[in-house]
Amino acid sequence: MSLIAQIAHFVQEGQENSAVQATRQALAAGCDLHALIDGLTTAMRQVGDRFERMEIFLPEMLLAARAMQAVMKLVEPEMARQAIKWEAKGTVVIGTVAGDLHEIGKDIVITMLRAQGFVVHDLGADVNALDFIRKAEEVGADVIGASALMTTTMPAQREIVELLKAKGLREKYHVILGGAPVTRQWVEQAGADSWGENAAQAVSLLEKVVERRRAHAAL
Amino acid sequence: MPPYKMWEIMERANSGPFCEDEAFIMDVFMPKMRQVIAKYGIAYDPANPVPADDALADAVWQAGVEFFGDVGVLNVDTHRIMRFDAAEIKEALYHVPGEYRVGYGKDARLFRQRAVEDAAPPFCIFSPDITCDEELFLPSCLAYLQEPLADGVCASILEESMGLKIKAGTPTELAGVIEHAMSLRQAAKLVGRPGLFLVAVGTAESDTGQIAVSNEEWGVRTSDSRLVGALTELKIDNELLNKAVHYQQFGCFTGSLTGPIYGGYAGRAEGTAVLQVAYHLMGLLVHQAHYQMNFPFHLHYTSNSGREMLWIVSISHQAVARNSRLLSVANGFLNAGPGTKMLLFEAAAHALTATVSGAHLWEAAPAHNKHKNYATPLEARLAGEVGHAAARQRLTRAQANDIVCQLLARYEPMIAHAPMGKPFPECYDVRTARPTAEYLALYREVKEEIAGLGLKFPY
Repeated sequence: MSLIAQIAHFVQEGQENSAVQATRQALAAGCDLHALIDGLTTAMRQVGDRFERMEIFLPEMLLAARAMQAVMKLVEPEMARQAIKWEAKGTVVIGTVAGDLHEIGKDIVITMLRAQGFVVHDLGADVNALDFIRKAEEVGADVIGASALMTTTMPAQREIVELLKAKGLREKYHVILGGAPVTRQWVEQAGADSWGENAAQAVSLLEKVVERRRAHAAL
Repeated sequence: MPPYKMWEIMERANSGPFCEDEAFIMDVFMPKMRQVIAKYGIAYDPANPVPADDALADAVWQAGVEFFGDVGVLNVDTHRIMRFDAAEIKEALYHVPGEYRVGYGKDARLFRQRAVEDAAPPFCIFSPDITCDEELFLPSCLAYLQEPLADGVCASILEESMGLKIKAGTPTELAGVIEHAMSLRQAAKLVGRPGLFLVAVGTAESDTGQIAVSNEEWGVRTSDSRLVGALTELKIDNELLNKAVHYQQFGCFTGSLTGPIYGGYAGRAEGTAVLQVAYHLMGLLVHQAHYQMNFPFHLHYTSNSGREMLWIVSISHQAVARNSRLLSVANGFLNAGPGTKMLLFEAAAHALTATVSGAHLWEAAPAHNKHKNYATPLEARLAGEVGHAAARQRLTRAQANDIVCQLLARYEPMIAHAPMGKPFPECYDVRTARPTAEYLALYREVKEEIAGLGLKFPY
């Protein structure tokens, strides 16, 4: 097994120390960083797929994500040193809406988005509608993601869309909603753009959305 | 519980060991869960969704107690862990009275702890567990309150009040919670059960909303109950503590409402069961609750009628029933919607599993607990009847396991694509609050089929 394959394996298994050790060896041996990043991205996509099929569970996925982060801490300075540019798949600002403190669904989506190369700004829970927009403006986001677990906090999702309209920014961002009570009908009523029934679906949808938006912007 | 503990909780919420949210889950919660599952040899057995293994139930209890003691509960507002030592846990368990008289007048009921395979029927709380249109709220309350097996009722949740969308923590919520409380109280009087035990009000997400409805005349009374929840997993915040303290000071019965997630931080079935036991201790020590309301649910399906979920329901309730006097209620979360055979089979499987495992019943949340108006009292009626039948005939866990396996065979393959069914107004005559002839016939057909599996319904 190559060193890159070993690193990918350790990451998938959530073996942080072994992953870090193997990465140090790989970097010392001058490994191809593009190949390493590709290997890690594929490994984490497989982790996400196995999680969706319930072959592994959230603790295993979180340990894999933690190992991946530890590896990237070593790889990123080396990429900078070699002036290798890595383009994020997209930038997402995400949070649980005002009045709602439920975070697990949002956190699963964040883990999977980061694993697939998105830059994610997690605003946490109980986030005011305007704060989503301020952060999106600050970081030049492509997507705003708003999660709500309670029917009585869902109106705060619509408030984000309404504030975007009021500020003349509605077309600038793709707004995706999530949370157990959220349905396709609610997304339409709220005036949002899309809805992820589960984390994997949300990630795959956003990959396509950002690609489409960037292609459109390049025209 | 002695009231001085409330002050102890307030103090501990601000002065416990510091811990950030992510570290609490990654470095405290998850490693300890792995450790106790291995230490106590807990293993899920898909062949027996209703296990009859006392040693396993006791192991789940011991694992839950050790887990709770070592992990504690994180207050996310203060970033402090509230921990309780073994002596404090024993003290709290010692003081559990094991029974309460709830409701008032002729409608009062005894709500007491049940044992595994108890001959006493479960206390049945009927609840749609879902939102409904404002104009359907009163008819829905009337329909649920008319059910003779209902020892208590919890109403639907309002999304709108006077045409305004209710938003938590705003004046629209205050309007909605009062409409909810007054309509439910009015419905109880209309059906001639003014003193029935009510659990209210689900429309109030915020502490302010709950506090606004404490009123002996038109709102929630001291003979009623309120719920206070947790954040995923084993976390709380000051708003939840506000509710718990208010309920104590107002004097009503507190239910600790927790739903450990299968596939979430606790991992598989084993961890979810251990966590549910730990939540009983959180309810007792932090919320100082009078009963625990449990809705473990599947991460993908938001239900607990699947095989692994029934195992969790069964073994965690057995663990609690065998080792404490805690009152524990099992809340059915089902995949299919009203007006379908699948929903009725699921309701029966959940109620049967819970009843022989020592739980009380809270039925039921159909259609993945997701779709407005998709709940009726008829599926709750069948669940209650199954619970009464199983207790009255002293069904053993092994006998129940056999029946549950036969019920699972009827719906398990359809869980991922469960039929949505029909909303309340298509299953009930809204004007009379009675089921349609079509749904009633389906219910009778399914009840007969279940009787053929070995359940002896009293009527």
